[in-house]
Parts: sequence; C-alpha cells; structure tokens
Amino acid sequence: MSTEQALQQTEQLLTDLSTEITFPEPARLDAVITPGNLRATAKVLSNAHLGYLSAITGIDLGPESGQLEALYHFCNGPAITTLRIRLPREGKPTLPSIADIIPPAMLFEREMQEMLGFNITGLDVREHLFLPDDWPDGVYPLRAEFSQEQAAPVAVGPAVEIPAQGVRRGNTFVVPIGPQHPALKEPGHFEFTVDGEIVTAARMRLGYAHRGIEKVAESRNWVQNLYLFEHVCGICSHTHSTTYSMGVEQLAQVEVPARASAIRALVAELERIHSHLLWLGVSAHEAGFDTLFMYAWRDRETVMNLLEQITGNRVNYSANVLGGVKCDIGPEQAKTIKEGLNYLADRIRHYLEIVTTDAMFLRRTRGIGTISFDEATRFGLTGPTARASDINHDVRVKAPYGAYTRFPVTAITTTNGDLEARFVVRLNELLVSCSLMHNIVDDLPEGPLTTRMPRKIPAGETISRIEAPRGELFYYIKSNGGENPARVHIRTPSLCNWTSVLEKAVGSQLADVPMLISGMDPCFSCNDRLVVVARPGENQTWSWKQLREYGIAYYKR
Amino acid sequence: MNKINKDLWKQVAKQVRMWSRLNSIWAVHFNSGSCNGCDIEILATLTPRYDVERFGITLKGSPRHADVLLVTGPVTRQQRERLLRTYEQMPEPKFVVSVGSCSISGGVFAGCYNVIGSVDAVIPVDVYIPGCPPRPEAIIDGIVQLLTHLKDSTQQPEIVQEVVS
Repeated sequence: MSTEQALQQTEQLLTDLSTEITFPEPARLDAVITPGNLRATAKVLSNAHLGYLSAITGIDLGPESGQLEALYHFCNGPAITTLRIRLPREGKPTLPSIADIIPPAMLFEREMQEMLGFNITGLDVREHLFLPDDWPDGVYPLRAEFSQEQAAPVAVGPAVEIPAQGVRRGNTFVVPIGPQHPALKEPGHFEFTVDGEIVTAARMRLGYAHRGIEKVAESRNWVQNLYLFEHVCGICSHTHSTTYSMGVEQLAQVEVPARASAIRALVAELERIHSHLLWLGVSAHEAGFDTLFMYAWRDRETVMNLLEQITGNRVNYSANVLGGVKCDIGPEQAKTIKEGLNYLADRIRHYLEIVTTDAMFLRRTRGIGTISFDEATRFGLTGPTARASDINHDVRVKAPYGAYTRFPVTAITTTNGDLEARFVVRLNELLVSCSLMHNIVDDLPEGPLTTRMPRKIPAGETISRIEAPRGELFYYIKSNGGENPARVHIRTPSLCNWTSVLEKAVGSQLADVPMLISGMDPCFSCNDRLVVVARPGENQTWSWKQLREYGIAYYKR
Repeated sequence: MNKINKDLWKQVAKQVRMWSRLNSIWAVHFNSGSCNGCDIEILATLTPRYDVERFGITLKGSPRHADVLLVTGPVTRQQRERLLRTYEQMPEPKFVVSVGSCSISGGVFAGCYNVIGSVDAVIPVDVYIPGCPPRPEAIIDGIVQLLTHLKDSTQQPEIVQEVVS
C-alpha cells in the first residue's frame, strides 16, 4: 500500500469522526476530534490496522489561547496520522484513557497526566512515573507558567525507605530491585513479587535519571539544543542528534547535502555496532559468560577507534550540525574503515555461532521469555526486540530517511521470539550494517558537507523518526518562528519495550529476571551495582551480583 | 612487648595497610542521573583494552565492600537521597571520584528543573575527572592521582589509628 493510499483510507475512516482533516506535510494527516470521539476513533484505527500508536504528545498552548492540546500519533510506514484534541487549560482537562484498546498508551497517558496535568479517566494510577516523590501536587513542569520555585520539595512523610530485605506479604515476598541496577539506562526501581521461585507480579518506577530535558529545551536556542539532545543518551547520542536535526531541517525546508546524509548514516551504523556489541557483552555477563563479555568489549574498541577517527570523540560524537555534518571521510580513512569492518564482520559471525551453539548459553536463552507475534503487537514493542517476534518493522526499511533511500537495507526478523532470537536478530543486523557501510564508503556522494541554516526556524510542527539501535526513536518538534523551539517531545524506544519485561517477568523464574531485563537492551549503563534482593524463606539480603550468581548456579543444577 | 617493638609493629602494620589499600582499590559505581556516556567509559576501563584490573581496581556491586565511589552525571532530585545513602553505607576510609562534566558542574543539564547540580553539592568529592565523557585514560589517571595523593598524604584516616591502638 502506498503512502497516499494509506492516508486516503485513513481519511475515509475518520471523515465521520473528526471535525476537520488537513494534510500539513506530504506524508501526514491531521484529524481534529472531540474528547468524546477519542475512544471510538482509536478503536477504528486500531481495528483497521492502519498504523500503531507511536506516541502521545501533550502541549500547553499557553495562557493566551487558554488551551492544552493532546496529539495521538499513529504511524504506518512513512504515513503518520495525528489525532488532535484541544481542551481548556483551566479546571480539569479530562480525556478518556485508551489503554484498554491500545495497551502501550498507558505509559504515554501517565506521562501527560503528571507533566501537563491532564485528567485521564479510566487510568487508575495516580503515582509519579518520572517526577520525584517529593514533587508538590498540582505543579506540572511542562505547563507554560511553570517556574522552579513552584517545585519546592514537599514533605513525603517518613523518608521513602527501600527495605533492606524483602517484604513478606502473606505467602509471597516482594523483591525490590534498584534504583541502582545493572540493566537500566535510567536507574529504575522494580518490585518483583515472588512465590517460591516464580515471579507473580512486577511493578516499576522510573524517573531516577529524569532531568527535565524537554522543558529546558524550550529555553535554549536551536543550535544549543542539538548538543542538549545528544546527551539524552550517551550510548545512542548520534541517533538523538540526527533525529532532532532532521526535524529542524524539515521545518526550515533545508535539504541536507547527499554526502552529509551518507556520513550521518555511516556514523549511525557504527554506533549500532558499538551499541549491540556492548549489549552482547553485558547480556553475556548476566548469563555468567564473562569470556564472551570481555571478547565482545575488546572487539568493540575497534568500532570506538573508527568513531574516534571519523568524529574525534569516542562517545558523544557531535558529528552533526544543523544542515549537515562536521566531519569528512578521506581515502585514507575509507581504507581503515573497510579494514575495521572486515575484522568486525568476522568476529560477529563467530559470536553468532557461539550464541546459537554453546549448550550452556542456550540453556539461559532458548525458549525463555518468549514473546509471540500477537503479544509483541499488543505490547507495542519496537526495534530488535519486536523483530525477534517476527514483527517486520524497521524505520530504515518502512520509512527510509536520509541516505537509506540511496543505500537500502533489509530488516532481519525471526519467528521464535525468545531470548536466543533476540541475540540472533541483533547480531545478524550487525552483518547487514557492515555490508551497508561498505556500500556507503565505496559510493560516497561528492559535494559539500553543510548547507546554510536560518537562525530562526519558520513556525510549524514536524515529526521525525529514526531506527535507533534499540528501535524507533520519535521526535515531535514545534516551532513558533522564534530562536527556540516551542515544544520538543521525545519518545525513546526503551519506553515502549518496558511492558515486555514487566509482562514476561510474571510467571518466570526469579533466576531468569536478569536475562529478561537485559534481553530488551534497556540502554545498559553499568554492570554491577547495589541492588537488594531477598529470597523467600531465608532472611538474607542479596546484591544484584548475588542474584546474577544465583541465576548461574540455578542453571548449573 | 617493649616500646621499640610496639612502635615497629605499628609502623609495619601501617605500611602493610597502605600497601594493600593502594593495590586493591574496590570501586562502586553510582549513576546519579547521567546520560550513560561516562558509565560506558567506566566499563570500558575494566575491559581488555584498558584493563584496570592489572592495578587491582575492580567494580563491586555493593557499597559496603567499596573504597571508592565513582559518581557520574548531575544529581537529580530523585537520586539525591539514594546517593547520600550509598555514600553513608561505605566503610571508612572512603573516597569519592566525580566522573564527567555533568557531575562536576551540571554540564549541559545545568538549569533543568529536576537537577540539583553537581555531586559536591551533596557529598564531599576527592577527585574530579572532567570530560564529556572523560576518556578511559583520563579515568585511570584520575584514580592514579587519588592513589598518589593517598600515598603522599601524611595525615592518616582516623580509623587507621583506632585499629592500631
């Protein structure tokens, strides 16, 4: 189905439900609807399989207009359908929850609820997801009038004590993990309720690394923000700055030179290799396979060398500028890149053989944490975690951007959906990346590296999406024509994938939890940190390390 | 035991303790709201290319076993309490290394509503390692500076004297 057909079909479906339909950009459809129609519209779109819910953006339109706006973005290949709902700012801006129709909506709704003060009916969770425990009630950081003084800490009763040992509730035990935790980008807090060995309930709390980037972006100019967004995540810094730059360039209607696009794609693919090898190592470590951990990280240094050679930095590359890139690739570098890639491809094939044949490792991965195609669709998974469950979705293939129109890639999928499949998908993806980079280096377009960007970006709004190492990264950018953005909303792939951990942990062995968490690649930040875990029946305190060792010992039996 | 022997014994014990402390630094890593850049570089210092285990430096899971606290990132409001608690759980003598620009000054996140600021606003810091993120060589250099300082310092941590007497 072409993009135009998809948009036409959506238009037909939404004609009766919406008050106004417009086409703001070539592949976008905006439908204004009333809060009363939201659930019906969500049902229609979800039943017609015309796209998945990619993100929900809440915007405060300011005291002058007196309105809040909620945007529901449904993506279907390159086509994006946005449902727009406007509500008065004062009083209780009430929206119905659509989490029972589209489960992943729950996290986005909770975000809108605490950041902008929407009242979501049918969503019975009122506790904070991102904001700190001592945040005062009724203060919403993304509202226009928010100031730091309003957010003075309030007393939260006795200090929020993380129990040093598990909490017994009847026959079950609550196992708290975190906020210091090896498998998290953000230090997060989990509570697994266990009955014997089996996990019976799981709960999570994010926000330990919540800094308030979306708000502060509104007070910095377009160029400063490029470097701010690079620091959303240090592992996939290039994808964040590329997604942001792409959005700003779309708004300014600036065409990036072909050579710059190709270099962006090259750095992005090198970053994918660095990220996946990092993940391979840390996952192997969680399974007790430290040899693989050390080898993977040794080979990762090859990529780090290449990245450093191209951009000058090992981690936060700053390869992008608005309208192009900073770094060029000469014939000497092309040669080193190709040598490095050949070496890496050999090693990756070797690792692929190990993770599919090593009997001990397979006991930790084969048939564990299996997510079926239907479940993956229901959870709204993205990236390699989804592709391991046979969801054929890769933004580089479905909605090619930048250099990927010129250098196409193939999406890797498998049908098994277990942990082993996630290893296989990621490693095969790296082989695709290697051959793609050979093509880019061989056929690097000639031309300038940058184009001129205006200092003020014309008013408008746009959406840019990229396939980050962990899945689809989504940026919504709105400009009022000034030197600062009016709103930037980021939906990172890890947020979508959390549901898979929480749902799959229930019913699995406690020993498998470290592997389940690492299986979705939640942006590892470190490997061993303090975590307190207690076992049922034993009045004993465990660290994460002990949990990991317990997992290894359990499988030795 | 006569006085000379006792002094000699004290002297030897002190030297052995210092020798072992300098050669087996156990570190615990705390992410107080970092972007992960520093965290992966800390991990990279442990892996074969940089391999700090050569010097007896290793990452520990629990602060109760650690001598050095490596803190990365600006301190967020939600992490402040946890950082303090982690610091308090470490046994004396303990040292804090603040890794990366954000942990030194707040970096690009200075002014964000949920960021308190630098690490030294919450706990005392011994060594600052600047960089965004600092290279593994810089992290190793920071730790070495800490060790050199320890070796040269004439003032011994209080706890050492207690044990000896």
